[in-house]
Amino acid sequence: MVELRLKGIRLTEQESAEVSEELSDHLQTVYETSAAEGLAEQAAVEMALGEVSNWQELRTKIESSRKKEPTVNQRVSQFWFPAFLSLFLAQAGLMLIQTLGPTAYSRPAAIGPRMMPPTAVYAAWLITLPFVGALAAYLSRRAGGRASSFWAVTFPVFPFLTFLVIGLPLAIALDDHVARNLSLPLFLVSFSGWVVFPAAALLAGGVSVQYLFDRLRRVPHH
Amino acid sequence: MIPSGIKRGTAELAVLSVLENGALHGYEIARRIQKETKGALHFTLAALYPMLYRLEKQKLISGAWETCQNGRRRRCYRLTAAGEKKLVPLRTAWSELFAALHRLAGVSKA
Repeated sequence: MVELRLKGIRLTEQESAEVSEELSDHLQTVYETSAAEGLAEQAAVEMALGEVSNWQELRTKIESSRKKEPTVNQRVSQFWFPAFLSLFLAQAGLMLIQTLGPTAYSRPAAIGPRMMPPTAVYAAWLITLPFVGALAAYLSRRAGGRASSFWAVTFPVFPFLTFLVIGLPLAIALDDHVARNLSLPLFLVSFSGWVVFPAAALLAGGVSVQYLFDRLRRVPHH
Repeated sequence: MIPSGIKRGTAELAVLSVLENGALHGYEIARRIQKETKGALHFTLAALYPMLYRLEKQKLISGAWETCQNGRRRRCYRLTAAGEKKLVPLRTAWSELFAALHRLAGVSKA
């Protein structure tokens, strides 16, 4: 019951399991003591349930009372290390595929704007990304990360996203050739090939590992 | 019945004081406080645990899981050295407050 009421509490899995166990034990003890002192079963149950009038408020209070600022070491192990490892592996994989093949779905335009990213979709690269995402999620979750694990998993697409969202508009503003050669379909292909599809592939692996972690870490409660 | 605002201020002192005599689990802390204050201070689960966690975060108390004789796992809280240190000025502050109130409004010292 407590676990259900505290569902969604923003603590690590271990912490929320421990809090649930502790609060369940407290309520159980209130019930047992009340019953032992002669209260009817229904009254003892009400006595225990009366310990918390607003579970939402309790959840918020527990979150703020247990919330710790992550230490530098925790930030490194929960985010920076998995994020940069996944970025490195994704880039290394891409370079390898670009060198050795197989060829991309759509080759980079021979004549195009200097600042335009190639309108290519590397299917072979996309196939490798779920494994990279899974590894990043595993490392981050093992270090106790939760929200940070999502950012670590999707980290490899951020350089591309930054380029398309910030670099390209800047290039358009600064260079006439880019503006003239840019078209919406070209942009969409680039955006899909370098941001949307890779992010989806990375998340496919990352979310699978998150799901496995959630299942394996679930501990029985009283 | 003591108003909740005043209760909140006394809660830290109450919890640290009952833990001064040894480790207790959450329910026992609440029960001990209620018993020793003759029911004037009553902590429900909703009031007690956020405070215990806050005190633990401040390293004034420390919690550890222990298994009771009946096989039940319980988290017991102990006063830390920092908690013991904190109790001294807390007691002084509350004594001074009661003394001041006594002088002002004839409130007896607790």
